[in-house]
Amino acid sequence: MQEINLSEHNFEQCQKCGICNDVCPMMAANPAYPGPKQAGPDGERYRLKDKEFYDYALKYCLNCKRCEVACPSGVKVPDIIQSAREKYNEHKSVKLRDMMLASTDLMGTMVRPVAPIANTVLGWGITKSVLDGVMAIDHRRTFPKYSGEGFERWFRKKAAASQASYKHQVSYFHGCYVNYNYPQLGKDFVTVMNALGYGVNLLDGEKCCGVAMVSAGMFDKARKNAENNIKVISDAKGEKVLTTSTSCTLMMRDEYKEVLGMDNSSVRDSIVLALKFIYELVDQKKVKLVFKKDYKARAAYHVPCHMEKLGWSIFTRELLGMIPGLELILLDSNCCGISGTFGFKKENYEISQKIGQPLFEQINSVAPDFVACECETCKWQIEMSTEYKVKNPISILAEALDLEATAEANR
Amino acid sequence: MKFDVIIIGGGHAGSRVACGLQDSGLKCAVITSGRSIHGTTLAGFEKKGGIVFADDQITNTCIQDSKIVCVRTEKIGQIALEAEHYVIATGKFFSKGLVADMKKVWEPIFGLDVEYNEDRSAWYAESFADHQPFLDFGVKVDESCRPSIEGKTVKNLYAVGEILAGVSCAEKDDLAAVDAGADKVIDIIKAQ
Repeated sequence: MQEINLSEHNFEQCQKCGICNDVCPMMAANPAYPGPKQAGPDGERYRLKDKEFYDYALKYCLNCKRCEVACPSGVKVPDIIQSAREKYNEHKSVKLRDMMLASTDLMGTMVRPVAPIANTVLGWGITKSVLDGVMAIDHRRTFPKYSGEGFERWFRKKAAASQASYKHQVSYFHGCYVNYNYPQLGKDFVTVMNALGYGVNLLDGEKCCGVAMVSAGMFDKARKNAENNIKVISDAKGEKVLTTSTSCTLMMRDEYKEVLGMDNSSVRDSIVLALKFIYELVDQKKVKLVFKKDYKARAAYHVPCHMEKLGWSIFTRELLGMIPGLELILLDSNCCGISGTFGFKKENYEISQKIGQPLFEQINSVAPDFVACECETCKWQIEMSTEYKVKNPISILAEALDLEATAEANR
Repeated sequence: MKFDVIIIGGGHAGSRVACGLQDSGLKCAVITSGRSIHGTTLAGFEKKGGIVFADDQITNTCIQDSKIVCVRTEKIGQIALEAEHYVIATGKFFSKGLVADMKKVWEPIFGLDVEYNEDRSAWYAESFADHQPFLDFGVKVDESCRPSIEGKTVKNLYAVGEILAGVSCAEKDDLAAVDAGADKVIDIIKAQ
């Protein structure tokens, strides 16, 4: 459809139906936000004529993509909004706080050597008050924990040597969260892939995908990272480059082109969420999954906004549906409100919690053993706002699989 | 990935068929561009185990011996979506269920036979408020609501809603006819 349009992001296809406003979680919670229709295609008509029409309320867009999923005419509303923030915003200076929150890899590298101290200090009330006062990072937030040993280091020490012995090979884009905050997910991923007969390779120097940088307005830095990632992904070993983070995946597949204007056509199709890849293998009968006989759990599945946009939650549902002892309850389609770094900012805390309220209430009423969800920032938000733990479906697979029997079946 | 019924188009007619069939215990999937105005209806459908492929479109169809074998979509990629029955409810020009250029009108997913006037000047009336003949264009079906490709009836495809020739909710109040058509298809599929 795009080829017959004159402008980007299917802007001209907007029929003014307003369905985007109906699904926008921000518009419902925050009267200061004019909604995706006005912030996107309607406002763009004016901005094209004069930059003066740029509205600073565009910063409230969560880039959750719900409007784009809802649009029956294929208008890429959030891409219009994000691009406008770069094209028309004349006050581009990025606050130190936003820069720190967005530079997930830089912060991870700095904090990791002192992770145990940092985790303790970041948990203190006094630190939170100081961060709140000086940096405007809300004191009610729980900070994600940093891990002392990063995933890459663990992989090189404990896993790398045995990977070449597997019949098939894939690469893994772990992202900042797995490397700095939660290496266990990466370990679970390696465990599952190895059991399926797949060796895992790291990329030759991946960088942060840049999703948080775009939301902080650091477009040029995001482009540099994108350039690096496109290069290392095109040199990757194995059949595909698998991921465990929905937002990194969406960023590298779609936003590199739509928002950053980069040519990612050579790598786009090779970047796949591990869950989709595994489902395809099972569907084509290339691998067998053997589950533990005594595994029993009741999980509530929250589909992250970016998973809705990817359209791949079906694969999670089908895969988890194969686990005999797992009861999976599909939660209503709602945004959790954190939106990466948005909810950490002091001025956004209340809006963020208000957006997530229906989700938290539903989780509490379902009272599952845990929540299943692919997104790392949804995990922080749900774990902070309810009493339930959140597990990535890859980790659930790692728990539920009879690893020895599965490895035997796929040898 | 296997279903009993795949419904293409999640507007009024498509949602009605999907909910009706899912209620009767069949495993249904809806492929829709956007979530359309029937998002709420479809949320209820999902709760009952129905699958919605939202914001997606069909990129490839496989037809053998006048039967649809499978379809593929942009987001799901290479994995074939298979079903016993298929329902097309993609509407007319506004929702791109029908496409026109200066000479002809066609149905873009399967290339179904479309009824239209070949005389271009007879497509529209001069006055905006008059009856616009192009709104009567649409897919031809047999008595079991099945459309055809190059004159041959497609055995496991049913057309409902505004995509049908002669049905138009924009100009006249055809909603009752749309509902009746959808209910008829529900009964036909349930009876098999």
